[in-house]
Amino acid sequence: MNHDEAKQLLGPYRDGELDLATCLKLEEHMAGCPACQQALEGEQELVDLIQSETPHFKASPFLKTRIRAALREEAKPKWKWTYPFPLAFYELGVFGSIAVIALFAALITPVAFNLFSVSASSSLAQEAVANHVRSLQVNHLMDVASTDQHTVKPWFAGRLDYSPQVVDLGPSGYPLIGGRLDVLDHRNVAAIIYQRRKHYINLFIWPSDAMSLHGRLYDQNDYHVLGWTKSGMNYLAVSELGEKELREFVEMIQNQTIDSRVGE
Amino acid sequence: MTEQHRHAGENLSQPNFEQVFLPHLDAAYNLARWLLRNDQDAEDAVQEAYMRAYKAFARFRGGDGKAWFMTILRNVCYTMIKKLRSHETPEPFDEEIHQVVGESEMQEAFRQKANAESLQVALQKLPDEFREIIVLHDLEGLAYKEIATVVGIPIGTVMSRLARARGRLRNEIIASTAKESLS
Repeated sequence: MNHDEAKQLLGPYRDGELDLATCLKLEEHMAGCPACQQALEGEQELVDLIQSETPHFKASPFLKTRIRAALREEAKPKWKWTYPFPLAFYELGVFGSIAVIALFAALITPVAFNLFSVSASSSLAQEAVANHVRSLQVNHLMDVASTDQHTVKPWFAGRLDYSPQVVDLGPSGYPLIGGRLDVLDHRNVAAIIYQRRKHYINLFIWPSDAMSLHGRLYDQNDYHVLGWTKSGMNYLAVSELGEKELREFVEMIQNQTIDSRVGE
Repeated sequence: MTEQHRHAGENLSQPNFEQVFLPHLDAAYNLARWLLRNDQDAEDAVQEAYMRAYKAFARFRGGDGKAWFMTILRNVCYTMIKKLRSHETPEPFDEEIHQVVGESEMQEAFRQKANAESLQVALQKLPDEFREIIVLHDLEGLAYKEIATVVGIPIGTVMSRLARARGRLRNEIIASTAKESLS
């Protein structure tokens, strides 16, 4: 191996990318070549500098939450038509099409508005159930594990633009076990996790600027969702617990969350 | 099938994708951040890459998930770079200018000026394709073969490009600090 060939291979040699035969030939050359030894040293110093002094940018926890939420949204089944309208529609021509659309819109608008307002809270509840089911899988239940409300509450500071009240119901048989950042209705929300025997309750808390919640929102098979609004905050409790127990839990939470606006 | 069962079923199919690809989130973000140079663009690129990967997941035949995903991410980044910097003309870089002195002098100069700050400045000055290969190899620890997949070039080119990238970086470190010491 001559010097020029050897010089080209110093980088790959440092990187451990050479096969054994080439390695041996290069080492044989380097043993008698101070210039190559020095160049290899220089290469090593540069890579050491890069590896020790380059900031390694880390993704924020928000990004992870955002991506998870987007993936979940993507996983929902969607309607797919080969053509945006049934084939016969295309034969109507431009004016015919407009007439049909206008007629259809006039008929459907009053009905649609009613349907949308009903489905808003039920789709929110379904989203909350999906979050709950998801939180029980693959160690995704908690971002901060603590039975101490004074640990869980400050954890949310800096992660949310509001501060959720965290109360511990340990003495009443619903111990606080941790908190998590989650996404509901396109925004980051606090999820406080409580345990009852072997069951979990996800309590989602976020400011009620867009809508307020009342009573039983969703009730199917094993899952119950109860929602309420207090002191400008929406609360949504989701669990596979029996409805009676979940109501007991909700009552205790309602009694212990202080109305922060009193005294203002 | 009830509504709730359908939701639970969908959630079961996701951990597969998430378990394979979410562990690469930090590596992906690091590359995107170094290429795009700001947090917001990097976050958008990473999210877009996850959405594209999710849609293309059916075509993923197992194997090197990191290289497969980084390929998608890199494409997203370059598409964004084209849009963001279409009005900028790349700064010409004179590769020959610092080559006049011998290896010993170079090494001496490098040792005097090597620090976190001069490295930062030098890295930012590198052309994207050079910065990218240093991030992929020296920071993310991808092998030449993986880089060949991600960047879409032969292994021989990975080898020569990495060598040129390191050469330029070293020259820039020497040069950038030299300028400061004059002022």
